[in-house]
Amino acid sequence: MSRTLSARMETTAPPQRIPLEKRLGLPRDALLGYAMLVPGLALILILVGYPFTNSIWLSFHRKLIGVPDASFIGLQNYLDLFTDEAYWTAVRNVFVFTGVSVAIKLVLGTLVSVILNERLPMRGLLRSFVLLPWAMPTLVTVLTWRWMYNDLFGVFNYLMLQAGLINTPLAWLGTRDLAMPAVIIVNIWRGFPFFAISLLAGLQSVPSELYDAGKVDGAGVLNRFRHITLPSILPVMAVVTLLSTIWTFNDFAIIWLLTQGGPSGATEVLSTLTYRIAIGGTELGKGVAVSVTLMPLLLLLIILLTRMTTAREERL
Amino acid sequence: MSYRQQRQLWHIGGYLFLAVVLIIIAFPIYWIILTAIKPASLTYTPKPALWTNEPTLESITKLFSNNPFHLWMFNSLWVTIVNCTIAVAVGTMASYSLSRLRYPGRQFLSGLFFFVYLVPASLLFIPLYVILSNYRLLDNLWGLAWTYLTFTIPFCTWILKAYFAGIPIDLEEAAMVDGATRFQALLRILLPLAAPGIAAAAIFAFTLSWNEFLYAFIFLQDERKFTLSPGLTTLVYGDVFLWGQIMAGAVLMSIPVLFLYFFAQRFVVTGLTAGAVKG
Repeated sequence: MSRTLSARMETTAPPQRIPLEKRLGLPRDALLGYAMLVPGLALILILVGYPFTNSIWLSFHRKLIGVPDASFIGLQNYLDLFTDEAYWTAVRNVFVFTGVSVAIKLVLGTLVSVILNERLPMRGLLRSFVLLPWAMPTLVTVLTWRWMYNDLFGVFNYLMLQAGLINTPLAWLGTRDLAMPAVIIVNIWRGFPFFAISLLAGLQSVPSELYDAGKVDGAGVLNRFRHITLPSILPVMAVVTLLSTIWTFNDFAIIWLLTQGGPSGATEVLSTLTYRIAIGGTELGKGVAVSVTLMPLLLLLIILLTRMTTAREERL
Repeated sequence: MSYRQQRQLWHIGGYLFLAVVLIIIAFPIYWIILTAIKPASLTYTPKPALWTNEPTLESITKLFSNNPFHLWMFNSLWVTIVNCTIAVAVGTMASYSLSRLRYPGRQFLSGLFFFVYLVPASLLFIPLYVILSNYRLLDNLWGLAWTYLTFTIPFCTWILKAYFAGIPIDLEEAAMVDGATRFQALLRILLPLAAPGIAAAAIFAFTLSWNEFLYAFIFLQDERKFTLSPGLTTLVYGDVFLWGQIMAGAVLMSIPVLFLYFFAQRFVVTGLTAGAVKG
């Protein structure tokens, strides 16, 4: 009966129902699409696009806080920076800080995620618990560690002394060789849960048949990890690592609140140097030049990550 | 060693390792709370007490009486709510557009939102400072709320887009075939289905704004305009040791976000995976 009905419709009356694809593809669709995008797009162009380009313009000017005008000085800000030892120290430090932090966060996060992926009692609760350091305000985390690192009354020294790991109380944040490890530890404490929980979500989407097949083949625990687990979470790992690299590279709060870049530049990174020059020294133009110098690398990372995530989207 | 033995060894080692990690996570959190409630005599000593039998609210009352802490809380809440409301509304519209409608440039625009989310605050704070100062919006909570949109809008858009993409379009199509307009389909079908995702976006936006440090620290200078971040920070640089008060403030600042995390656990994991893993 349905065949006769459709046959009749084809021959006699024009089709009542326009095919859906066509209806969805109407120009009105595009119009509506743009209209709904406008508020968000306008806001990010004004609030991010404009400052982003403005920062490049500013970096070629002498612009001071409280002075409305800015005078063009060409590359002077950059020349000042490149001949300044403090700049190169900050560059070195930011690579050490980021490299070491991210590497340890990745290893630690992977281990924790693999363990949490086992059939554990109260796994849901454990998962929320592991996420705690990441959910807490950065400020709270950093102030707490600063208090624990306190050289006179800090619990860190007390516990280390009790455990016999050190003989005298140490000024963790005030000693050149200890300050960098100290800030890295805080960054790791705060950041590894993000790795662990994101990777756990990745692990949970690995089909269990893969593991069963591995069991039949007699794969050992390590082999199983290398040949089954790792390849399947590698894409997630790459995304999470890149994200964390960008965040760590630009971290300000942890370092500023713990050491303010000190002692004598031992933990100075580009973000704290930017702040010191721009706000502390009121030289906005020169300060912004610091962040502009790291733009190329940052853009590279961001574009890479955007590509990777949009490519994943398309496959889904 | 057999597979079974290897598994057992791995389990024991793994659990021990996890136990150590859990202690490392728990200790600083315990220390915040303990410092906030133990009497000063047990705090400022080289042998800090690891437990107290005489908890006191002294630090908390001092925190409120010596500082305009209630103002800081109120300001934080105000900025967060204003910013969240705008971000979720604007983000929902943008993500609907990016995930449900087909038009030229959609791919590029979608990438743009993600790109913007990743542009770090350390790159933007100086130009934003210049702009805010030109428009006399420094020391202004509206000004601060606007700058927070730089990360909340792209973030909400991104995680909602991933969430919308996971909801089959068939139901909306069916409704439209039955004569519903596109807007009705969005309002009556998609939005109710996407409620968990929207909740996750809102919670994340809330947390991001509430926890933000750099912008608040730089754009606010008047103590009475402070949000919690710059407020608590000033206590650190005082001449006296105020760690009891600082930790009391830290506890109070953490409560809202931790509350949200625990009561919205399901949504949060959804959001995290949609935003960070799938997205």
